[in-house]
Formats: sequence, C-alpha cells, structure tokens
Amino acid sequence: MIELRDVAKRFGHRIALAPFTLTVAPGEIVALVGPNGAGKSTTLRILAGGLHPDQGTACIAGRDVVTDPLRARLHLGYLPQRIGVPLSAVVGDLAALVAAARGLPAGAGTRALAEYGLGDRLDATLGEMSGGQRQRAMLALATLGPLEALVLDEPSISLDIEGADDVREAIRRAKRAGVAVLFASHHLSDVALLADRIAVMVAGKLIACGTLEELAATTGVAWDSRVVDAPIERIYRILVRGRAQLVDAA
Amino acid sequence: MTRRALLKFDWAAARRGRLVPLFALGFALASIGVALVGLSAGGAVVVQGFARTSISLLQLTLWTVPLLSLLLGAVSGAECTELEFLTALPFPRTHIVVSRWAAWTLALSAAVAAGFGAAGIVVGIFAGSADVGRYLALIGVALLLVSANLAVGFWIGIVARGRARAVGFAVGAWFVLVIGADLVAIALLSILPAHLATWSLVALLTVNPVDSARALGLGLFQTGAVAGPTGAALQRLLGGPGAALVLAGLVAWTVIPLRLAGRRFAAHDL
Repeated sequence: MIELRDVAKRFGHRIALAPFTLTVAPGEIVALVGPNGAGKSTTLRILAGGLHPDQGTACIAGRDVVTDPLRARLHLGYLPQRIGVPLSAVVGDLAALVAAARGLPAGAGTRALAEYGLGDRLDATLGEMSGGQRQRAMLALATLGPLEALVLDEPSISLDIEGADDVREAIRRAKRAGVAVLFASHHLSDVALLADRIAVMVAGKLIACGTLEELAATTGVAWDSRVVDAPIERIYRILVRGRAQLVDAA
Repeated sequence: MTRRALLKFDWAAARRGRLVPLFALGFALASIGVALVGLSAGGAVVVQGFARTSISLLQLTLWTVPLLSLLLGAVSGAECTELEFLTALPFPRTHIVVSRWAAWTLALSAAVAAGFGAAGIVVGIFAGSADVGRYLALIGVALLLVSANLAVGFWIGIVARGRARAVGFAVGAWFVLVIGADLVAIALLSILPAHLATWSLVALLTVNPVDSARALGLGLFQTGAVAGPTGAALQRLLGGPGAALVLAGLVAWTVIPLRLAGRRFAAHDL
C-alpha cells in the first residue's frame, strides 16, 4: 500500500506540489502523467525518502517515510529517473548490497541480474554498460526481494523495445505479487496498457485521477478499449491543456 | 551485514578510480626523489637516515595530502546527494557517508603509505634503519591527516551541493588551512604581546589539522625549533601533554566534520 495524504512540497518560493492525496492499493498500478515540472518526480522522491514533504504524510505499507524511514523503505523498490548510483559501481557489488539491505542471500541479486540477461556483466561497472543494460540492471535490483511497494520514475527511458517489454513485465509481475505500483511515464501507451488508474498532474497539482474509461468519459473522448494508444494521447492533451477536473484522488 | 556490503561496494568503486593510483605513483616518485636528494646532499649515503628524509617528506605531505583529500572528499560528498537509489535502500543515510569516507580513507591511505614505503625502502637500503620507528609514526600522522581532510571534504561537499561549488570551497579550505593559518600566525606574532600571542598560536594549532600534523611530525624528531611559530609555541607552553592534545585535536577533525556531514545528509533533501 502506498499512501500520500495532503502531501505538499515547495522549493523556495516555487510550489512543486500542492497538497494532494493519492492511495495505491496492494496489487494496483497507478501511473503519474503530466508535462515536465508537473511534480511527478517530486512525488516519487518523497516516497523514496529523497525529499521531505513540507506537509502531509507519505506512507509505504503503513509506515511513514519521514518518521519511520527504515521500515518504510524495507519493502520499497525504487527506480529513480537518474541512475542514483555512481557509474564506478561494480554491478555485482551493487547486487550484493541491495540483497544485504533487503535481508536476502547474497546470490539473490546476481540471480535477478541473470534473469534480465546480465549474468555475464557482474564484474562490469555501470559506466561500462550501455544505457539500456544499465537501466535493466537497475530495474532488476529495484524489483529485488519481497516488496510491498514499487515506485518507478520513467522506467522505460533509454530502453529499446525489448527493454521496454521487460519493464512492462516487471510491473505486471509486481502487480501479480500484490505489490502497489506507482510509476511516472511520458510513454502514454505504457500508461494505457498497464495502469489501473491514471493520475494526471499539472504544475504541482493533481488535476485528474481515474481509470482510463473514467478519464475518457470526463474528457468526452470516444473510447474503444481495443485500441488504447490513440485515445490516451488525446485524453492527455485535453487534460493537460484544458486542466479538466476529476476529483477522485483517493 | 549491510555495513560490510556497503563498505565493499564503496571500496570497489574507490579502488577503480584513476586519481588515487596516479597520486600513489606521483607521491611515491616524489618521495623517492626527496629521499635520494637528501642522501646525496650529505655526500655519503650513511650519514642521513630517516630523520632528515622524514622532515622533507613531511613538508611534501602537508602540501599535497590535504589538497587531494579535501578535493576527493568534497567531490565524493557532493556525489552523495545524487545517490537516490542508495538512499532509498533500508539503511540510514549516515552509513552512506561513513562508508564512502572509509573507502576513500583506505584508498588514499594506501597511496600515501606506498609513497612513504617506497622512500623508506630507499632510505633503509642506503642509510640503515635508525629512526625507522619514528618514520612509521610519521606515516601514522600522515594517515590521520588523510582521514581528517577527507572528513572535512565530505562535509564541504554535502553542504555545498554541487561538485563545482564543492571543489571551489575545498580549494578555499586548503588555502586557509595550509597557507592562511600560517599568515594569521605571523600576523598575531607581530601584533599581539608575547603572552597573548602564545595562547592564540596554541589555539590556532589545535584548530588547524594541517598545523597539528606538522607539529606532531616535527615533534617526533625533536625539531621544535623548526616547527613553525605555532609548533614552537605549543612545545614551550605544553611540553609532552601538548602532543596528546594535538593528536586528540587531529582525531576530532575526523570525527566532528564526519558527524556534521552525516547529520546534514540525513536531515536535508537530496
């Protein structure tokens, strides 16, 4: 379970996040969409403990990320937008570190890397890998272990089609395991294919949240559930430009 | 278990960097050069041993080690604020700072020890082993200097937020510690009456890790007269306990900045 309740954040005088509430249930996938600077990454970074909210509470599996950070993060998988690890890091050592931090045997990390086709790159540094390999390695480690929440910031960035498929499969696998998944993406087809609910943010505000069908109804976009790509692009444009309001943030 | 994995992770990254091996090579060559020049200057290889070489090496150490340690610490400290993946793992942020500091301390200490070791072998072969114990103690002082300046560098890097700013502040700190403090000492000596100047110099000595290392290094070889104004003042005022005070000060220069860095890193946004 992921819970954000009245969470707000300012950077100096700029409001990065206006107070908003959002809950992701176990086994649910919620996508955050919106233009650059909308507050998507700020939201995810608050959940991961990288930023402290100015007000409100953010909880992972019922544990507050500010007052009980270690237990909150124990079962949190997080993939930041930027790599978040020195490029000089050796992949095998990073895998061992993640496994140790999550209380798993040392081999668990290397097995996860092998599942993503990186079993022969354990001695490589992240800097020696291609952008796609690096992203796959980080995804393998972010999803390692028994998780209760998975938070991904632009997980398909710099990935080829197969890599993007790996991301989708990782997200679906997490959902099947009962993990609450919150991810931010500009790839609206991924959003349409994966998300149970879509939260649309503009200028730090949550302007709409609902299923694709609900958002389509709100925006008056004709909806054909067999073809998701084209409608979702149109829905997005209408929501972001028109700032349509749909209050279903809970 | 997590701390060990974290240290192993950071140590592997520190080991793979190019700067430390380059420094190790340069420092070793310079140290051997200092040892050889010292030997030839006396005209006969047996006359000069570890004592004279140590004093020359100390000066080299006091200029180069703080600079590299501060820069490495500052860059590594600034990099801490970019480690979003690691900070989302379930261990305290302070562990990240301490582990990175420990890894760089090990790496840089190995480089400094290699330099001293290379020079020591040359001196040992040509001049015998007299004063080797003091030479080893001098290496210990150099390692404390590494540790303290890295800790200060980490604190600078975490406070500065951003590598370019961190590097700028680190160079400024180096100037203050290595050159500025001596200028202040000279100014105090010329302005203040003797009894006041002495206490001021003692205070300056204990609050400056570079001066502390200089006084400790020179003190090892009973060379108070050339210990600089601050070292001479401390020897005159405190005698034996002064060394313990300075040593404690040098250790505090590791502990306090590291704690401040850890606290700052834990409490602030990335």
